[in-house]
Amino acid sequence: MSEAPSAIIPFPSISPDTGARAVRASDLSAHGELHLWMLGGALALGIAMVVGFLFLVAWNGLATFLPRPIEVATLADGTRVAGEPSRTEVFRVPADKLATLPPDAQERIRANNGTARRTIYRTGNYDITNEDFRWVSDFEARERAFPRDIVFVERLEWGPFIGRVKGLAVGGRALDVHDLRDARARKALAEAQERLERIRTIERKEIGAVNHELERDRLALRRELLASGDWSEAYRRLKARTEAGAVALQARFKVLADEARGLKQRDERDTVTLADIGGAEKILPLSAVVRAYYANDLSWGEAAGVYLSRWLQFLTESPREANTEGGVLPAVFGTFAMTILMVIMVAPIGIVTALYLREYAKQGRLMALVRISVNNLAGVPSIVYGVFGLGFFAYLLGGNIDRLFFPERLPNPTFGTGGLLWASLTLALLTVPVVIVATEEALAAVPRSMREGSLACGASKWQTIRRIVLPRAMPGILTGIILAMARGAGEVAPLMLVGVVKLAPEMPVDGIFPFVHLERSFMHLGFHIYDVGFQSRNSEAGKPMVFVTTLLLIALVAAMNIAAIVVRNRLKRKFAGGHF
Amino acid sequence: MSESQHSIVNRRRDRRTRRSVLLADRIADWTIRIGGIGVIVAVFAIIVFLAQVAAPLFGGARVESERKFSTPAATARVLGLWVDEYKSLALTLLASGEVSLVHIASGRSLPSARFDFGGDRVTAFGRTLADNYVSFGFADGRVRLGRLDISAQTLPGDAVPAHAERLDENNFADGQTLYARIAGNQVRKISVATRLDPARDIAPGKAIMAIDHRRGGTAERPSEAFVTLDEAGTVRLSRTEIRRNMLTGQERKTVVSVEFPPLPAGAAARRILTNEAGDEIYLAARDGKVLRYDARDLGAPVLAETRRLLTGDATLGVFGFLNGDQSLVVGGSDGSVDVYFRLRRENAITGEPTTDGFALVRAHALEKQPAAVVAFAASQRTKLFATADARGNVWVRHSTSEQTLLRLAAAGAPEAIALAPRDNGLIERGDSGDFGAWDISAPHPETILKTIFGKVWYEGYPAPAYTWQSSSGTDSFEPKLSLTPLIFGTFKATLYSLLFAVPVAILAAIYTSEFVHQSVRAVVKPTMEVMASLPSVVLGFIAALVLAPFVETWIAPIILGFLLLPLTLLGGAMAWQTLPSPLALRFGGLPKFALMFAALGLGGIVAYVLAAPFEKLFFAGDFKLWADGQIGGDRSLLALILWPLSFVVAWLAFERHGGPFGGYAWRKKLRTWPRTFAGIADGGRIIGLLILAGLLAAGAAIGLDSLGFGPRGTLVDTYVQRNVFVVGFTMGFAVIPIIYTIAEDSLNAVPAHLRAASLACGATPWQTAIRVVLPTAVSGVFAAVMIGMGRAVGETMIVVMAAGNTPILDLNVFSGLRALSANIAVELPEAVRDGTLYRMLFLAAIVLFMMTFIVNTLAELVRLRFRKRAAQL
Repeated sequence: MSEAPSAIIPFPSISPDTGARAVRASDLSAHGELHLWMLGGALALGIAMVVGFLFLVAWNGLATFLPRPIEVATLADGTRVAGEPSRTEVFRVPADKLATLPPDAQERIRANNGTARRTIYRTGNYDITNEDFRWVSDFEARERAFPRDIVFVERLEWGPFIGRVKGLAVGGRALDVHDLRDARARKALAEAQERLERIRTIERKEIGAVNHELERDRLALRRELLASGDWSEAYRRLKARTEAGAVALQARFKVLADEARGLKQRDERDTVTLADIGGAEKILPLSAVVRAYYANDLSWGEAAGVYLSRWLQFLTESPREANTEGGVLPAVFGTFAMTILMVIMVAPIGIVTALYLREYAKQGRLMALVRISVNNLAGVPSIVYGVFGLGFFAYLLGGNIDRLFFPERLPNPTFGTGGLLWASLTLALLTVPVVIVATEEALAAVPRSMREGSLACGASKWQTIRRIVLPRAMPGILTGIILAMARGAGEVAPLMLVGVVKLAPEMPVDGIFPFVHLERSFMHLGFHIYDVGFQSRNSEAGKPMVFVTTLLLIALVAAMNIAAIVVRNRLKRKFAGGHF
Repeated sequence: MSESQHSIVNRRRDRRTRRSVLLADRIADWTIRIGGIGVIVAVFAIIVFLAQVAAPLFGGARVESERKFSTPAATARVLGLWVDEYKSLALTLLASGEVSLVHIASGRSLPSARFDFGGDRVTAFGRTLADNYVSFGFADGRVRLGRLDISAQTLPGDAVPAHAERLDENNFADGQTLYARIAGNQVRKISVATRLDPARDIAPGKAIMAIDHRRGGTAERPSEAFVTLDEAGTVRLSRTEIRRNMLTGQERKTVVSVEFPPLPAGAAARRILTNEAGDEIYLAARDGKVLRYDARDLGAPVLAETRRLLTGDATLGVFGFLNGDQSLVVGGSDGSVDVYFRLRRENAITGEPTTDGFALVRAHALEKQPAAVVAFAASQRTKLFATADARGNVWVRHSTSEQTLLRLAAAGAPEAIALAPRDNGLIERGDSGDFGAWDISAPHPETILKTIFGKVWYEGYPAPAYTWQSSSGTDSFEPKLSLTPLIFGTFKATLYSLLFAVPVAILAAIYTSEFVHQSVRAVVKPTMEVMASLPSVVLGFIAALVLAPFVETWIAPIILGFLLLPLTLLGGAMAWQTLPSPLALRFGGLPKFALMFAALGLGGIVAYVLAAPFEKLFFAGDFKLWADGQIGGDRSLLALILWPLSFVVAWLAFERHGGPFGGYAWRKKLRTWPRTFAGIADGGRIIGLLILAGLLAAGAAIGLDSLGFGPRGTLVDTYVQRNVFVVGFTMGFAVIPIIYTIAEDSLNAVPAHLRAASLACGATPWQTAIRVVLPTAVSGVFAAVMIGMGRAVGETMIVVMAAGNTPILDLNVFSGLRALSANIAVELPEAVRDGTLYRMLFLAAIVLFMMTFIVNTLAELVRLRFRKRAAQL
């Protein structure tokens, strides 16, 4: 403020310089227009960043499942590339590449500042070409077309196939069908899907149940062995019983396996022959076709159907192909299960602590210090909590639980490694400061007069808190809890240490006793994004899926935040009349 | 409240409170107290737990038990000493070929094993560090290789033979086999066998004076190398390579032998060493003079270097490699123990010229022993080793950390020492057959404060360095665990993200709090806060897979854009100033804000259009090549950086000494003109100042450049796709909303009467904001920055995904980094529980905790002070 003295500028009209002339201008610098625009520009930049970011995610996420037309580009050398054009960009043509081009193309690129346009095609057919994507520059392509008979086939394995249908065989007999929209083809496809469902049910559910029983018996036997030794009568009896049981289970297993084998043999005889744009043929079992559509021959309704069915599949199925295809149901489920468990733990802990800090503890220097520290714990990096969770919960607590209660499973850890329980506990610890701070503020906002009124009427301290203070503070407390949920749902770093996995074979809640398996590792939307975006074979192939998952996660977090606001407003209205 | 009504009606009611109420109150009281205190304690116990896990890093080493016992004195010279993996047997090899076995726990001898030399006299002996391979040189010039086989098996509990001799409660001996009862009703069988290959006639008729040999290679291609020195001073090297077909089991053996050129006159070599590849041979004389031969070209081995590795009149005591054959340990009769590395010649500080471009450099000078160093034992898995001196001091040391971990006292003069294969024990044999055996525990010898935070000289490194490299594929790897590059990475990411976030957030906060209508604020603020709720994994994904490739392609327009955004805003402001007052007043609200967006957009478009000429003019046509230092000069960027600075300087200079164009004189003049004209005139002045500043900056850049100052090589260097520029921008999404919200709150908390007073005195809103509101709220704004910084320090996923994770120390905007948080997230899932890396990562977590806790506490204190002050106003 070195120029402070000059800040007080005499009001223009009494300035001797202007005399009696009407003043048409005020002091420009006093309005600080130049500075104002910098301030406003910063705000505009911030808003542009948020809006742009959300738009980017929403656009990419929503567009991913749209069935796109398939373009066939014929290159200068005669090879043809068929694929969904997924992105177009302007790039700088490298000098060595430029030199190999015909003169007129060179000229055009030079005129364009050395840049040219190129399109990346999702060509599919990974099993034939070993690539999912292919760049085609504008100067390479001679001709582009959208043939109507090109079919886009989503397969169980190897990603999509783009090409033409050559033939169809049902029961090993070739049919005279070259169009998947033909009624016979549809019927065959539907039957194949049904068969696949049955095979899956047998393999996953029924055989899984048999295996589970075998494992349970084995563990029970081992537990008995550890408890009473191999010479004991009880052990020997149990062993005999287990072995007898195992024979029965094996028989059940065999029946199921035979049924599955029979179905599979039947399945192999229903095939479709596909040919890619270059003519290379591929015979595919019909059951491996997840979805097929003629991309360039879709009506609006059909396109919408494909779009919606893809969303449905995404939300209700398990992932396939190293998480880059299929759905994210386990991840959504894991995220929810963990968040709810976390809330169950964090809410009472946080509220009790805040009650203590605000209502019970003697307010003094020490409490101020504690309060500052608790406030600051909210700023401690989440990864530090993850480290603590791994070392304390998983290894120390979990290790001891294993030794005490699950000795028969050692050295395989049960609770002695990351899992749902430890992850939610870790996140509860991470979010407890949020709840404490919010609850404390809500408690502080309850007018003192209400407490005094209650106490004066003869209510006990606890009655006052329960009947007067807590209800009035509820909106704030709930907001805090929901904000904690939102933070917890979006955290990934600590979870990477305490129990999130890229692919969990079993859900944490299922039909096998005790139904909720707190020790199991689980999948999480946030980690799913990290995993597919960074650890998968081809991050370009996974990118559309990651965008959808991102959209889902942001929607989840946003939904929680909005819920916080709505709940707060409703409760505020409800208690608005409570003041006096 | 029915009770109270009741009490009014019936006055003779029992006045005592109902028991259940009292009970509930008491229960609640205790539950809440215990729960509350418990949670607070638990939360603080986090740091205690972390510290407790990390503490053993600094625990050094300790002796768990010590045992001394005697055996009959040796009948021949002691060649070597071994101990098995379970520290149950001590094996002493004598020059007669006898291997005496002693059971350590009981001190009782077992029948000896033996190598059968067929009556030849052993004159030289060599051994490998691992797997107990031995080599013998004989007086008649022949050489025999062999192995002392110590194998351990776990057997069922009834495997002890009935005739085995009982040594103590749990141990039995049967010939050279030891049976030990172990937990779980099992028996461990440890058996000793000797194997001797056929003799090879290496130096016919001449006694072998020294021998060394190594086994190496891979399972499919094992290799063997041995070197000998005979009494005539001839050095011979023989390398054997075996190609084993893993399917058929066929072996093809190629043996190459070579005789070295005669030693230089006067060289009285006594010891010989070779590395695993057999291409580096060291000969050492009694006075510590070492001849280093380069045998990479087997056809023509050359004497590469001659150097005395001892000082004064000391004589050579021990001479050997540590695990990995890269660290040469030299111990002298003066008690000195030094570790030498063979490094590229240009890095060596002293020494005679060498012929192969390498030179021996003393990397570690360890603490001197009180007497002449006589024995040495190296660890098979780490850089741990032990040295013993003539007075019976046995010291356990670590090469990397240069620390002496243990100082043990032997019974007599040590003749040989051996470290247990798992580094958990040490035995010593005195010259009269006395043994000392120690169970030691040195779990983390490589970590002391100096190796964690300071510069350490690692094997193969040209100089001491700060390095983090926790693991590698080879067994002989030296872990490099310096937290310094990680802390630096954290600070680098924080610095660059704050450079972007702080101005944007604070400027935006001031504008929101002071210059927009309440209804706009109600939309704008939650919008900015949405940014805070974006999960960081999402930000990281967008940064790494969308932003990083985008920035890489469009780096020049983006740099130009950052320059142009303020300029177009300035242009917008100048245009606005020329508007007639009624219009300016009428559109001063939302339309003006919309125009600011338009100015941003315009900046972007102009940047895109002008990118190519800009790149040509400033970065010689290709930014990435330019940044790499391949083309162009430093002046351009220097001028760009100096431009805003010189604009500020020019502005201030004109305010003070601008004559009619500056300060009060100029403002007075502006007031006399019509608004539009005044606006144009003022705009003209700003443009003039900008041009002037440009010229100044260009001049200064040329000057600085000719003096050798330049941003390239430090601030700007080789472009990497995942760099701190991208990270800083993305981290802005995480940090901006935090700083923005808290700063806006504290600006908003400034009492309204202050504003009202200022405005009533005739100050404009701008003057009020900058002279009244901001100074009042400044500590709150500062606290906001600190809290934002805390968030940036701890941010994990963005850094994991978008920063490339390279632990390097440079300030380059276009290179990656590895932050503490990212390092923990990446390495902890793979770290072995309670291992050194595991504990180091806990230490990293503590460092991170401390950093953020200090920053946040400071911020909190500042904020509390601000609250108090604001409340007083």
